[in-house]
Amino acid sequence: MAYDYDLFVIGAGSGGLAASKRAASYGAKVAIAENDLVGGTCVIRGCVPKKLMVYASHFPAIFKEAQGYGWKVGDTSLDWEHFITSIDKEVRRLSQLHISFLEKAGVELISGKGKILDPHTVEVGDKKYTADKILIAVGGRPVKPDMPGFAEYGITSNEIFHLKEKPKHIAIIGAGYIGTEFACIMRGLGCEVTQITRGQKILKGFDEDVRDNIEAGMKNHGINLIRNNIVKQVEKNGNGLKLTLSDENLAPLNADVFLIAAGRAPNVENLGLENAGVNLIQGSIEGPGYSTMNAIAVNEYSQTSQENIYAVGDVTDRINLTPVAIGEGRAFADSEFGNNRRVFSHEDVATAVFSTPEAATVGLTEEQAKGKYGDNVKIFKTSFRPMYYTLPGADERTMMKLIVDSNTDKVLGAHMVGDDAAEIIQGIAIAVKMGATKKDFDATVGIHPSAAEEFVTMR
Amino acid sequence: MTFDYDLFVIGAGSGGLAAAKAAASFGASVGIAEHEALGGTCVNRGCIPKKLIVYAADFALQNQMAHQYGWSQCDNYFDWTRFTKLVDKHLDNLNDSFSKQLQKAGVDLIKGYATFIDDHTLEVDNRKITADKILIAVGGRPNLPDIPGIEFAITSREMFHLPYLPKRFVVIGGGYIGIEFASMMNAFGCKVTVINNDELILSGFDDDVRAHIQQSLTKRGIRFFHNSTAKEIKLCEDGLLVKIKADKQATVAADTILVATGRTPNIEKLGLEKVGIELAEKGTIKVNEYNNTNIENIYAVGDCSSSLQLTPVAKAEGEAFAKTVFGKTPKTVNYNEVPTAVFSRPEGASYGMTEQQARSEFGDDVESFKTEFKSLLSQFGGSDEKTLIKIIVKTENQQVLGAHMVGEHAADIIQSLGVAIRKGITKQDLVESIGIHPTTAEELMTL
Repeated sequence: MAYDYDLFVIGAGSGGLAASKRAASYGAKVAIAENDLVGGTCVIRGCVPKKLMVYASHFPAIFKEAQGYGWKVGDTSLDWEHFITSIDKEVRRLSQLHISFLEKAGVELISGKGKILDPHTVEVGDKKYTADKILIAVGGRPVKPDMPGFAEYGITSNEIFHLKEKPKHIAIIGAGYIGTEFACIMRGLGCEVTQITRGQKILKGFDEDVRDNIEAGMKNHGINLIRNNIVKQVEKNGNGLKLTLSDENLAPLNADVFLIAAGRAPNVENLGLENAGVNLIQGSIEGPGYSTMNAIAVNEYSQTSQENIYAVGDVTDRINLTPVAIGEGRAFADSEFGNNRRVFSHEDVATAVFSTPEAATVGLTEEQAKGKYGDNVKIFKTSFRPMYYTLPGADERTMMKLIVDSNTDKVLGAHMVGDDAAEIIQGIAIAVKMGATKKDFDATVGIHPSAAEEFVTMR
Repeated sequence: MTFDYDLFVIGAGSGGLAAAKAAASFGASVGIAEHEALGGTCVNRGCIPKKLIVYAADFALQNQMAHQYGWSQCDNYFDWTRFTKLVDKHLDNLNDSFSKQLQKAGVDLIKGYATFIDDHTLEVDNRKITADKILIAVGGRPNLPDIPGIEFAITSREMFHLPYLPKRFVVIGGGYIGIEFASMMNAFGCKVTVINNDELILSGFDDDVRAHIQQSLTKRGIRFFHNSTAKEIKLCEDGLLVKIKADKQATVAADTILVATGRTPNIEKLGLEKVGIELAEKGTIKVNEYNNTNIENIYAVGDCSSSLQLTPVAKAEGEAFAKTVFGKTPKTVNYNEVPTAVFSRPEGASYGMTEQQARSEFGDDVESFKTEFKSLLSQFGGSDEKTLIKIIVKTENQQVLGAHMVGEHAADIIQSLGVAIRKGITKQDLVESIGIHPTTAEELMTL
């Protein structure tokens, strides 16, 4: 039977775009459906606009530090509208750029939401398209726990990029990287910030030293952390909001913006999965006010329970990161259309938290390493004030840590908190993934003076 | 025969300090002589104060960028005199900390200039000191070309103590020192001219890096005279005049002229002839792979003996020497993969072979991959300056031989990638790596 397309991709985010272009490069006839701006979470309401906000949030500190270098700096304030508009413009420019990449690759872009009617048919609007293979890459979305006032008064990371004015006091729930990043961004921009976490510490899953160092930096910057608490209720209070905390000894919080960064859910609804026998598995979010989350179940080749239907990216809830979605998408295209059957490895995926201080990490945490190798783990750690901060006398530190298997000398994990951590860990991550030993690190000559040289001079 | 010390080190710069502390850690009794501030060129008139000026100059650039991000423009003013005082204070602190480190390591510090009397005897400040082994780590100093009026020019040493910022700044020399100062002074608003004796600046770096930085600096307003040399400097009513010899003659007016045309080892007053220490062709002290001079018990490390005048190299040599001689583990330094950076704006950094080096070694069996892109940080800016990343690959086995970059964080990114290159990665390994998004470094995977 002849189909309209060799591949039909639902969702033009990081994973879908990568897969469709790669498949087209092998000569496959490919269409991609998107009901929003092309680019997905990362480009439209994630990584990219967030990082631009991070950059903007650093300037007030830079102005302050400049004074330690002999600069006299006058008062400056942020033109919020200019800032938000510039980000929006950049996002739209990038979205257009992705459309032009699709055109160049010969991928047909179809505007609208794709719904599966049967294993080989997708409906978009009132049109039906048939395809040999279907790839689901519809991503995820932030969710709001079902608590009083959350739906009406809470915003998520989707809305934060379009705030009409700069918050005076923003309250944030969530201890994950999204909540932590926005706490730092908003603090840098000059807002009062309160971050409320259910547990004792932010950034569960990261190395304890990473968690502690970020937290110390955040507190030092004046972020108010309320631990072991949940927001039970949000009410309107004059022009602002009143947040009631679970700890009754704590007074309610008054804030003008309430950001919910308490997890994301795969967009599995209204896709017609049931029409094609695509199975779900239970997702990973839990907590008060949540119902069960589902993700699309896939094997290591990103294949669903329906053999010609595949899924990549956040909708499968494996590791929810842009480069992973891209990697999964490309591995799928290589396997199915490029005559190169391969599995995308989810091991040793490097990741960063663009908090201030920034953190980045690859491989095992100390805890994981000790769990796996027991006493045969050696830790190398350094903490120092970077040269940049010496003249301003700022209390900013950088922490670097290597986890080494003492039997094989292999570096199992590398962790850093401090300026440019992500840029520095990127290269280290390649070395770690390649099985570099501590000896390899030591044998690398340093570049002086740089921050990264500390990674090759740890003794 | 017993000596005052197992090891006496002449010069407390990067190489000497590293060697002294390492030797002491192996149980040797160690003395070190220094007639100036501890820390040598790097700490007192090199890497450290230079990087601090780079940071100070960056604020001028960041201020423009802040405006593009929506921060209102504000009055600001840079007080050079205040800045140099702050730097001096910081360097004093560093000096104290070096002195404490030596104390803690059990190394005797002797203030003064050491000269040789014989193989085992030195004179420092009218005092004779004997030692079993002697390490020369006296570093180098800037060259002064032999041209009329050179006394009106200054070297990098004096740059850190300029009484005020010049309006018109001329640099003689297109090496990394000259280019870094040209870049900083340009950021501070000085009118900068560079006189370079080659077609491209930054000899030794990959040609693409050289061309890229040169173009960027030109766009930022620095004027270059290529294939040119300074012939004469004259004092005039309005400042200084440099006569330039190129295809055609030219004269440039300046308030400050920096000479950065290479460095010379500080060996003239050591009395090397008394012990018969041989020199290499370039005038540096001749050493073997263990940093041993032709005299069995005398060694040399760092800028006075090395062809690679870099702090981490001097340190590595000093530590290797101490391990070999006192730690009973012979160790040599690998000079093949020494990364280096130029802290101009834009910044450049390199690890491993340049394309030119690779082609001269492997001929046609070499491929290069290059990407140029606008970084996310500069998306809002008016500038169209691009980041450059380039890797050199051996075609036959796809091994990455070198990596080169121009742009934000180049030094940090290349340093980390260096560990992977050292590990022997192939181009395929690089491309299949997973990025950290959004970073500049992830662009490595698009090569």
